[in-house]
Amino acid sequence: MSDVIREAHGLNEGEFLEPRDKWFEQNETLQKLRKNKKFPTIWCPGCGIGVVMGALIRAIDHLGLKNDNVALVAGIGCTARMPVYMDYNTLHTTHGRALAFATGLKIARPDMKIIAIMGDGDALAIGGNHFIHAARRNLGITALVVNNAIYGMTGGQYSPTTPLGGKATTAPYGNIEPPFPVCELAIAAGATYVARSTVFHALELDKFLTEAISKDGFSLVEAVSYCHTTYGRLNKLGTAADMMRALKDNSISKSAFDKLPEEEKIANTRIVRGMLHQNDSRCEYTSRYAQILAQVQNLDVAEARRAGGI
Amino acid sequence: MPEAVHQTQTAAPAPGAAKKGPRGEVKIYATWCKGCRVCVEFCPPKVLSMDENENHPRLLAPEKCTACHFCDTHCPDLAIVVRKLE
Amino acid sequence: MTVKLMQGNEAIALGAIAAGCRFCAGYPITPSTEVAEVLSRELPRVGGMFIQMEDEIASMAAIIGARVGGLKSITATSGPGFSLMQENIGYAAMTEIPCVIVDVQRLGPSTGQPTSASQGDVMQARWGTHGDHPIIALSPVSVRNAFDLTVRAFDISEKFRTPVILLTDEVIGHMREPIELPDFKSVKTAGQVVLENPEDYKAFRNTASGVPPLAVFGTGYRYHITGMFHDEVGFPTQRLDEIDPWLERVNSKLEKHLDEITLFEEDYQKGAKIAILSYGASARTARHAVKQARAQGRKVNLLTLFTIWPFPEKQVEALGYCVDRIIVPEMNLGQLAFEVERIAGRKKVRHVGLANGEMVTPQMVLEKMEG
Repeated sequence: MSDVIREAHGLNEGEFLEPRDKWFEQNETLQKLRKNKKFPTIWCPGCGIGVVMGALIRAIDHLGLKNDNVALVAGIGCTARMPVYMDYNTLHTTHGRALAFATGLKIARPDMKIIAIMGDGDALAIGGNHFIHAARRNLGITALVVNNAIYGMTGGQYSPTTPLGGKATTAPYGNIEPPFPVCELAIAAGATYVARSTVFHALELDKFLTEAISKDGFSLVEAVSYCHTTYGRLNKLGTAADMMRALKDNSISKSAFDKLPEEEKIANTRIVRGMLHQNDSRCEYTSRYAQILAQVQNLDVAEARRAGGI
Repeated sequence: MPEAVHQTQTAAPAPGAAKKGPRGEVKIYATWCKGCRVCVEFCPPKVLSMDENENHPRLLAPEKCTACHFCDTHCPDLAIVVRKLE
Repeated sequence: MTVKLMQGNEAIALGAIAAGCRFCAGYPITPSTEVAEVLSRELPRVGGMFIQMEDEIASMAAIIGARVGGLKSITATSGPGFSLMQENIGYAAMTEIPCVIVDVQRLGPSTGQPTSASQGDVMQARWGTHGDHPIIALSPVSVRNAFDLTVRAFDISEKFRTPVILLTDEVIGHMREPIELPDFKSVKTAGQVVLENPEDYKAFRNTASGVPPLAVFGTGYRYHITGMFHDEVGFPTQRLDEIDPWLERVNSKLEKHLDEITLFEEDYQKGAKIAILSYGASARTARHAVKQARAQGRKVNLLTLFTIWPFPEKQVEALGYCVDRIIVPEMNLGQLAFEVERIAGRKKVRHVGLANGEMVTPQMVLEKMEG
């Protein structure tokens, strides 16, 4: 917040002002934010993570989920700072391990909707192993991976999704590692709903998040939002608005992509947006385990869990 | 508690008249705004302009708002909210 | 209950069930694997769940996640896996989430000798994870003791909102002894505590007891848990006036309740000037040595520690006052002996140890009594 605004409102250093008027109270999106948390958020001006947060809240609201029934589990990084701002059960864990913590929580509370919020480095570098196995098990967790193509929080080191040739603080001569295809990895590992969009296409993110969260099995939504503060500055990509415009110009919908001739598909460098994979026939992990419980105790599924005092 | 700095405009079209005037009511929560300019740069009818001194948008032409909701779905800080007018 | 020939690892698994544990996440590693195998079989019988995670890091994470969701939880590993778990053990200490970590110590370092015993993780149990934090570690000396200490581990883990390490070893883990287990219904452990209204709830409140109650996710209490330094509500903070009280409360919450946490057994003889202090498998060595020494007419004190961390300073200090020599047999190169030296003084302490997978023999201990 600028000093000018702060002074205009007679606030001291470190104090913030939350909007509290009738509009705010009646706005369903804003009501999902934690009332006892200081705003504005920690992210840089123009950071797409905030856009993703708005989409997430709208999606949860659209599904009519009760706040008590939703848990957000995050790793470490800029993206992982998201949960604290929202009025749900929030767990901020260790770098790369959000899905492992979420696995334990889901098994303890299969009735809750659990969303794991991770950045690209968190989910795919240090967290890659847990990503693969959570998808393989088809645990009822929605993985929300914000792909900003960099390690933002630590100042701009390259990540598994940094474009080839891109500059980063640990790739001063340009990145020589081909980036990870996040969605394709999840599909191969067994995820049963996979979608990708960008923060320019915020309403599309709303839609995919709504669908993903409503699924029983492991769902992934990749939200592309290249970091303008580190990646953008090091590669001279302009302002936040410029880079958001670039997401629009450099992406293509899946339906359009599917219609391309084969050579163009192979040569494609644009971000492919869309619902990329869906498979409702696989059994979700906790419901398959519940069958074991019922079988072992010779009871029906619901009785077996009650017998354990759970 | 002091009020958030905001500007609103409401206008209801005369009954029977062709739809004129704003289709949306815009509220700006300036104390949450970080001045990223995304809303200003993308607003199709150019309703907003940056207030250079105060680092947040001002309503330049509120009557042009079409309630497309680009600004409030793309504001990273939820600092601008649009309400569709009936 | 009838007398059964039972393996130490199995007794640990059954101790967990008796204590109300309903979740285990583990990864196979010799010599701890039987704990996971037994729990994978027994937990579903009581409505609990077992999952084999992809590695020990994920196992430790999963048991914390499960406890946040309301299930008492356990994991079991050995040296290399224990090393991997350290970051998340620190997370449990920082967020004060109860859980039990079984470390069936084997010979290290590194891959070492998976089927040989050691007590080489003593210091790692205390300081394996970075930063200043309290921790509890218990070491059983027999199969029945392993059952009892596992139950106790859950009890104090819940009571003091701290991870507890069951620091056992391959000898106890793999040995079989005839034991009679108590009826599980008679086992008592700390239950869930009464909580305030959700609006007033502060998960990390600086209470007088030092241990604020822990709410379960999904039961109406929506709050934030983070491994960052946090205020009473749980939000990250950098303010010293929020960090300092937390440090004070958390690093002294065990100190305030040592009488409940420090488990030991004193077998002292009036006028004895020599003592043997031991724990875990080496306590069996110590017991034999004491028996032989006393049979030869010597007066010897025997202090068996079941609680290794927090280190029983009061008991060791008292012992140091009445004897001239404290012999510490252990299967490492002096990890607990360092602590005894710290409390009783270097001059009085004689460490006798092996770090090659062999148990210290009573003869080695008796030799330290001379000279």
